[in-house]
Amino acid sequence: MNELLSILNKVKPGIDYVNEKHLVSDELIDSLDVMTIVTEICDEFDVEILPTDVVPENFESVEAMQKLIMRLQED
Amino acid sequence: MSYTSYFYLLFFLGALVILYYLMPLKRRWLVLLGGSYFFYWLASGKLIVFLLITTVSVYLGALAMEREQKAFDSVRKSLEKEERKARKAAMMRRKRHIVLAMVLINVGLLAFLKYYHFFSANVNALGNSLNLGIQLPALKLVMPLGISFYTLSAVGYVIDVYRGQTAADHHFGRLALFLSLFTNITEGPISRYGQLAGQAFEGHRADYRQFTFGAQLILWGLFQKMVLADRAALLVSTVFGSPSDYSGGVVILAMLVYTLQIYADFAGCMDIVRGSGALFGIEITRNFHQPFFSRSIGEFWRRWHMTLGAWFKDYIFYPVTLSKTNMKLGRWAKKHLSPHLGQVMPTAFALFFVWLANGIWHGAAWKYVAYGMYYYVLTLFGLLFKPMIFLFYKKTGIQKDSRPWQFFLILRTFILVNIGMLLFRADSLPVFAGMFVSMFRKTTGHWLELGMDVHDLAVLAAGALLMLVVGILREEGICIRERIASLPIIWRWMIYAGAFCAIVLLGAYGSGYGVVDPLYANF
Repeated sequence: MNELLSILNKVKPGIDYVNEKHLVSDELIDSLDVMTIVTEICDEFDVEILPTDVVPENFESVEAMQKLIMRLQED
Repeated sequence: MSYTSYFYLLFFLGALVILYYLMPLKRRWLVLLGGSYFFYWLASGKLIVFLLITTVSVYLGALAMEREQKAFDSVRKSLEKEERKARKAAMMRRKRHIVLAMVLINVGLLAFLKYYHFFSANVNALGNSLNLGIQLPALKLVMPLGISFYTLSAVGYVIDVYRGQTAADHHFGRLALFLSLFTNITEGPISRYGQLAGQAFEGHRADYRQFTFGAQLILWGLFQKMVLADRAALLVSTVFGSPSDYSGGVVILAMLVYTLQIYADFAGCMDIVRGSGALFGIEITRNFHQPFFSRSIGEFWRRWHMTLGAWFKDYIFYPVTLSKTNMKLGRWAKKHLSPHLGQVMPTAFALFFVWLANGIWHGAAWKYVAYGMYYYVLTLFGLLFKPMIFLFYKKTGIQKDSRPWQFFLILRTFILVNIGMLLFRADSLPVFAGMFVSMFRKTTGHWLELGMDVHDLAVLAAGALLMLVVGILREEGICIRERIASLPIIWRWMIYAGAFCAIVLLGAYGSGYGVVDPLYANF
């Protein structure tokens, strides 16, 4: 969780990532931010994210991103 | 056949609506398919064969990929882990070969027909200047109507099947209808299979509300296209036709009026096709969302020609960003340059291809490449200077959400977009450079000698104001069509009659006005 929060704060600071639940739909992060987050996640967590995983639902909150990482680590 | 012609509005659309609702529910798609192919044949004649090649190729390609997937799925559970992994990799390789072949056939056709002249002219010029003795022959090539639009829809479909996001369509008629639907074939929107194919194929019952909403959209689209865009064309073609005769305020005015022209033309046509779709109960995807209220270039492209931007995002931006080579580039930059560059490099690399594709999709000329690169550089600035922008807000204490600041951001984006429009409309890069510089000189040319009289200018200004008001209401979440629907019948019909009269009386057609083809129909 902390590792993920540190990535998010590095990519786009100034957002309350712990409490925000609609990062994409509230336009707090855009597709460029999402892709920067994705490349950072791939690096830090050693997972492979496919274009089909890049859907708003997977990036709406820290929990959603964490769930995605866990699923990819299990694959 | 133009969407604003009497033939389309009165005869084609009218006849198709009658036939559609006379047909049994389950067979109504046949009317749409027949009508769409008739529409295409009227516009393109024997070039219809290119549409058929695309339809047949992606139909067969998708089925072949499905066969590969099914063959693997049928034995999957009985295999050991290692064997399963190897078989899956082999199956994915075969699917990749099929999807690649589909992309090569269809994009290859588009590239050959659209870019051969540009390519051969540049190769020949280079060959001559270096005395290489290379001379590519001149070919008489004709572009089928809407090839840039239906090719992207077709390629999107096969990639979705490859990714497992869409099942292969076994019904050839449904796929053919999806790729040929008359509402989308000329200027888009670039539809996705999942969004359009099912609802176009499914029979819809007549619905009064849908019908009136559709008619309202058509009227609004006609107003934008015929009253505003076609009238603005007079001034635009005068100034852009002999740019060296004008400077200063006149060039600025021409740039602003061209932006209004292209917006009213493209958005107007989109409203006509969305309205046409609604007459058959089909919801055509939106292509515009008040783009001139955008606060950044990124936001502008999420609101302007939305389906093109979304296509590039899904089929170029995501796969290139996530490719292994690109990820390696990011790691390298992080290690050898800086953590920030390592972060933005993969995105910046992928964006280059997105904007290059965006530029050349619009046309085969260097100015379109420059147009794409213009937006690439602007987007890159935003990416690279993100930490500085964050610091700027922190240090100055400027409230990002305050109204004055939001207005400033909107104005800044509007100016940048207008410069892009000047580049888009100018005949060539040197002409653009000349016009851009001339904006800062003393004004030459009189605003009443630019092809429009006071009446034309007044109508244009009033129309632009009306578009602005409609945009503001939409931004506020007010659905104007709902409001009109809730009015007493007398008011409702007065509005319809008023809109109809405005188009008939103020439309830029007849003596003194030229026929202006939809600007996006030639792409």
